[in-house]
Amino acid sequence: MTPSKNTYPLQTLVGVGVLLIGLGLAAGALSIPSAAGYGGVGPNFLPWLVSLALLVCSGFIIWESRSGGFRAMDNAPGGPAPYWAGFAWMSAGLLANAALITTIGFIFSCTLCFVLAVQGLKSAEGRTDRGPAVWLKDTLIGMAIAAPVFWMFTQFLAINLPGLTSTGWL
Amino acid sequence: MDIFNQLLQGFATAATPINLIWCFVGCALGTAIGVLPGIGPAVAVAMLLPITVKVEATASMIFFAGIYYGAMYGGSTTSILLNTPGETASMVTAMEGNKMAKSGRAGAALATAAIGSFIAGTIATVLVTLFAPIVAELAVKLGPPEYFMLMLLAFTTVSAVLGKSTVRGMTALFIGLAAGLVGLDQISAQARYTGGVPELLDGIEIVLVAVGLFAVAEALYAVLYEGRIVDTQNKLSKVHMTKRDWRRSWPAWLRATAIGAPFGCIPAGGTEIPTFLSYAVEKKLAKGEDKAEFGTQGAIEGVAGPEAANNATVTMAMIPLLTLGIPTSNTTAILLGAFQNYGIQPGPQLFTTSSSLVWALIASLYIGNVMLLVLNLPMVGLWVKLLKIPKPYLYAGILIFATVGVYGMRQSAFDLFLLYGIGVLGVVMRRFDFPTAPVVVGMILGPLAEAQLRNAMSIGEGSAMVFIQRPVSLILIVVVLAVLVLPRLARFWVNRARPA
Repeated sequence: MTPSKNTYPLQTLVGVGVLLIGLGLAAGALSIPSAAGYGGVGPNFLPWLVSLALLVCSGFIIWESRSGGFRAMDNAPGGPAPYWAGFAWMSAGLLANAALITTIGFIFSCTLCFVLAVQGLKSAEGRTDRGPAVWLKDTLIGMAIAAPVFWMFTQFLAINLPGLTSTGWL
Repeated sequence: MDIFNQLLQGFATAATPINLIWCFVGCALGTAIGVLPGIGPAVAVAMLLPITVKVEATASMIFFAGIYYGAMYGGSTTSILLNTPGETASMVTAMEGNKMAKSGRAGAALATAAIGSFIAGTIATVLVTLFAPIVAELAVKLGPPEYFMLMLLAFTTVSAVLGKSTVRGMTALFIGLAAGLVGLDQISAQARYTGGVPELLDGIEIVLVAVGLFAVAEALYAVLYEGRIVDTQNKLSKVHMTKRDWRRSWPAWLRATAIGAPFGCIPAGGTEIPTFLSYAVEKKLAKGEDKAEFGTQGAIEGVAGPEAANNATVTMAMIPLLTLGIPTSNTTAILLGAFQNYGIQPGPQLFTTSSSLVWALIASLYIGNVMLLVLNLPMVGLWVKLLKIPKPYLYAGILIFATVGVYGMRQSAFDLFLLYGIGVLGVVMRRFDFPTAPVVVGMILGPLAEAQLRNAMSIGEGSAMVFIQRPVSLILIVVVLAVLVLPRLARFWVNRARPA
C-alpha cells in the first residue's frame, strides 16, 4: 500500500532518528579501544559494524520516505488520528510511577499510574463517566490489583518491592 | 532406551506436586494471556522473570513453558470469537474460525483448535524427545565458526526474510544489537556505551526491553490510536464436533503437524509461514461442498490445520533453543534469558550438564498438553468471560504488572523511566510497521554471536578464511546467502513472467 503524501515527513523523521542513533553509536565507538589481540577483532568491531549498518539503513529509510513512502506497510496512514490527550494521561501515570515509587511505595504509586492510565483510555473511548465517584471506583480497582501483586511478590516470592512502610504489607 | 529412561526420570521430577502446581499455574496463566488481547506470552514471561531470583530453575522453566504453550491455545479462542485480528500466529485461524463462529459453529471451531493443538503439540513433543538429544550430540562437534554462522542465519531469517520489509527488519535487528552492546564486553571486560551510568555496566535488562516494547508500547498505542475501535464478539455455541467435523479435521491436524514441525527446528522462527502454508494446503485439497465453505461459512479444515501447524512449530522451537542455544522467536528469546538468569547457557552441553532440568522440562510438555486440553475444552466458557474485562482496566492493569517485572528485576526506579522511553520507541516502531522480534533476538543473541565471532577469528589467527575452510560453516554461509537471494530472485522471475 502506498502511503499518502502527508506522512512522508514523519517517515523521514524516523529515518533521521535512525541516522542519529547510528551517529551516536559511531561517536561512542571512537572511544572504545580496538585491542584486537590474537583474533584480529576487538571490542570496537561490532560497535562500528552496527553503527555503519544503521547509517546505511537510515539512508534507505529516508530514501523510501522521499520516493513513495515506506514499502509494504501494514498500517494505512491517514487512519485514525492520534489522540494526544489520552497519551498525555497515560504518560503522566507512567512517569509519576517512576518518580514516586520509592517515596510512596509500590501500591500507591501503581494505583496512581492505574487511575491516570484509565482516565486516558476512557477519554480515548469518548466516555463521559468521569465524575468523582468514578475516580474513586477506579482507585479502588487499581488498589485491588496492585496490593495483591505487591503481597504476592514480597511475601511469597521474597522479591524486594518498595513499600510505604517496612512491614511488607503496605 | 537411554532416552526412555531419562524421560521417565524427567516425569518423576515434573510430576512432583510442586512442579505440577507450577505447570498448572503456567498453563492457566498462559491460556488467560492468550485469550486477553494486548499481552502475549513473550511479555508475560518477561514480566515474571524476577521469580528466577527465588524459584528453583526446574520449577520456573516448567512454569514459563506452560505460559508459552498455554498462550498458543488461548490465542485461538480470541481469534475465533473476537472479530478483530489478533497476533500473527492466530491470524490464519481467524480467517475461517471467525466465519464458522458467525454461522453458529464457534464451538466446533474451538474444539478442532484445541484438539488439533493437543495432537500436534504431543506429536511434536515426541519428536523433541527423540531428536533433541541427537541434535545435541551433533552440535557438540560444532565450533565457534559454525555457531556464529548459525546465529547469522537466525539474524537473517528473523529480520530480512520473515518481515514485510528488509530495510525495516534489518533496522530493528541492528537496534537490538546496539542495545546488546551496552555494558561490559564479555571477552575484554571493556565498558561500552555506559556513559558513566553504573546501572548500565550490567547491560540493559532484557525484561526492560521486552516489557517496554510489548506491554507499555501496546498500552500507549491503544490509547493513541485504538480508543474508538469497538470489538464485537461472536456467540459461543456448544463445544462439540460432529462425525463429519472429525473426519475433516484429523487429516488436517496430521498434515499440519508435518508442515509445522520442520519450521520449528530451523532457525527461521515465526509461525506465519507454516500456518499460511497449512491453510493453503487445506484449501487446495478440499473438494466439493467442503471447498465451498472456505471464505463463506468457514471451513473446519482452515481452523484445524493452521492451529495444529502453529503448535507443532512452537513446540519444535524447543530443539534449537535447548540444543544450540538459539532462540527463533520472541518468547524463546526470553526463555533463553531465563536460563541465563540461572547461569545456565542452553546448548549441546545442556543435555549433560543440566540433564535433569532438560528432561523434566520435556516431560512437563507432555503433562502441560493434557492440562491444556482439559483447560480449553470443558472450561472454555470461563476463559471467554475474560473478554468482558473493559479495555481501560485491562491495559492499565498491564502497566502494574509491567512495573513489577521491571522494578523487581533490579530494584531501580531509573529502569522505570527507561521503560517509558522504550515504550515510546515501541509505539513509533508499531506505527511505522517495524517488526519487534528482531530487536529482542538481536539483543539476546548479539553478545553471544559476538563472542563466537571473536573466538572463531582467534581460531583462524585473525583470518576470516576460517569461515570458508570448515565445511559446515561454508554450507551455512551458502544457506544464509540462499535465504537472502532466492526469495528476491523468485519475485524477480514472477514479475518478469507476468505479462505487462
